[in-house]
Amino acid sequence: MLDILSKVWQDAGDRLQYHVTTYLPSLLAALTLILSFYVAAVLARWVLHKIFKGLTIDKFLRQSGVAYMIDRSGRLRASRLVAEAAYWSLLLSGLLMGLSVFNTDLTTHMIEGFVFLLPKLIVAGLIVLAGAWLSQYLGRGFLVWAVNEDLPMPRRLAAVVRVLIMFVAIVVAAEHLQFARNVFFAAFVIVVGGAVLTAAIAVAIAAGGGLRRMLDDRRLHSEERGERSLWSHL
Amino acid sequence: MPEIVLPDEARRATEFLNRADIVIGIPSYNNARTIGHVVRAAYAGLAKYFPQWNGIVINSDGGSTDGTRDAVLSARVEDSHLMLLTTPVVAAHRLSVPYHGIPGKGSAFRLIFQLARNLGAKACAVVDSDLRSITPEWIDLLLRPVMFAGYDFVAPYYHRHKYDGTITNSIVYPLTRALYGLRVRQPIGGEFGMSARLVERYLQREDWETDVARYGIDIWMTTIAIAEGFRVCQSFLGAKLHDAKDPGSDLSAMLQQVVGSVFLLMQEYENVWEQTGATAPAELFGFRYDVGLDPVQVNVDRMIQTFVRSAGDLREIWTAAMDPVTMSGVNELARQAEAGARHFHMDDELWARIVLDFACAYKRSPVSRGLILKSLTALYIARVASFVIETETMVASEVEERIEKLCMQFEELRPYLRQRWNNPNPLQGGLEHAGHSEQSVAGRG
Repeated sequence: MLDILSKVWQDAGDRLQYHVTTYLPSLLAALTLILSFYVAAVLARWVLHKIFKGLTIDKFLRQSGVAYMIDRSGRLRASRLVAEAAYWSLLLSGLLMGLSVFNTDLTTHMIEGFVFLLPKLIVAGLIVLAGAWLSQYLGRGFLVWAVNEDLPMPRRLAAVVRVLIMFVAIVVAAEHLQFARNVFFAAFVIVVGGAVLTAAIAVAIAAGGGLRRMLDDRRLHSEERGERSLWSHL
Repeated sequence: MPEIVLPDEARRATEFLNRADIVIGIPSYNNARTIGHVVRAAYAGLAKYFPQWNGIVINSDGGSTDGTRDAVLSARVEDSHLMLLTTPVVAAHRLSVPYHGIPGKGSAFRLIFQLARNLGAKACAVVDSDLRSITPEWIDLLLRPVMFAGYDFVAPYYHRHKYDGTITNSIVYPLTRALYGLRVRQPIGGEFGMSARLVERYLQREDWETDVARYGIDIWMTTIAIAEGFRVCQSFLGAKLHDAKDPGSDLSAMLQQVVGSVFLLMQEYENVWEQTGATAPAELFGFRYDVGLDPVQVNVDRMIQTFVRSAGDLREIWTAAMDPVTMSGVNELARQAEAGARHFHMDDELWARIVLDFACAYKRSPVSRGLILKSLTALYIARVASFVIETETMVASEVEERIEKLCMQFEELRPYLRQRWNNPNPLQGGLEHAGHSEQSVAGRG
């Protein structure tokens, strides 16, 4: 009985020793690597921030209007954006290098998968970002146009424009990542088809009223000629 | 120097004529109803006041479909009957050519200027084709200062109804005067006289493909003449009566083109207006007299409603474009109007700050310029409504005094413009100015 117990203890000790001798050096190496990359990331962020500040990039971007284009509040700084991007890239690289130290099937698979997916993720992220900017820009343009044209509910109409553009951007990004392609494509078809059908019905319903208003407007034109002339005199 | 390709008939005509001393340009688009009168007045003006010079009347047409060009070529001018002359005068030539490129008044002018240069003209005048009040004397008044007094640019000076020319009165005149220091009362009048030297300078420019090609042309011409030190004067032309423009024409687009040109030129001539001190009146020629004017009716309630609606919908865009103090003044005004304030009033300081803030926003955001300018429309409408209410019972001289007061306000705010122009962050600009004017701007609305 004691022999069996002793053997179990022995086996457990051997296994522990095996794991410790096998993984501890790798773990320590990985932690050292991650720590080194963390220090490098912090340093890079600080240096880049100083360099950009010295080059007055923010001032240039602000004066050229590019900064205002990206962020209308004026709070976003290009120097901070670049410095943070460098910081997180280095941190992520450190993490991947740390994982690669273990050299197991699992970690190798994880790293390969990430490296393979990374460019696609970046492109998809850029598509979504571009879509977000475009949706804001065109949404605002539509809003101003709708207000000047005296259309009803201009904010809601502009919101619809924004959502539609954003939706298209997400569909394109999903297509690029080959992620739930059918789901997004089906949703896209449904939304666009629904919008077209709604517009057709609205046009059909409004046609009668519109025609009546147009005839009324023509009659009123002569009466309002004086008022309109306010705009015709520059 | 970018040159346009002349249409064949224009090229043939210039080769045939070889030279002309005076060119009178008339841009047109579907003005068959009025252009005949304008051509006859131009002809009579040349014959009566410049008989010793070779003159040509050039119509630059934007593709009219109502027979405008036929009306130009068939306008009959009976010199002897018109001016009681016993000796016949050499009739001036006339030419009607279509221009190409961006449709607009500026493109039409570009062709006229090109032809004037090719013909070696000493002076050039341009007049609108929808004028009903033009007389032969206008040609004399626009050209004589150039031909005989050494001026380079003659701007018109008219009597207009108090509600007519609202873009001029509320934005272009006060701003141009404050920026460049010369008081030209009708900087976008539409009728101008120019020397060959100035025409040459216009043609050297490379910004013809911008808003200048459209409604921006008038302020562009005036600003260049003033800012580049050409000799500028004004001629009193009496009353300006003209056909109503296309009722479907887009106010927002007009405002955008005119104000956009002003703002764009502000950037180019920044070093000029930063040095500007006290303003001086431009010399005025011609005999001044009072005239009757066409009444202009305005629906103020509708304008105020438009402003109130827009204040809710465009708040985000206005906030980005304007200083927080200005924005709070606008918000206060909208609140008062919404609550049914009996006396809707946008004071001069608030309006001047709005215009100057938009100029700065236009500078700092090249991508959103169109958006910024279009969003100014509702604020401009509010200003016009306020002006109409305030001047309802005023006579012309009182209204002129009122406009003078607005001009002084623009001049007083020049330091504010300089500060904001060089400090594009709206939040910083606002905080620095919040102390002295938050109460004054918001409180008077």
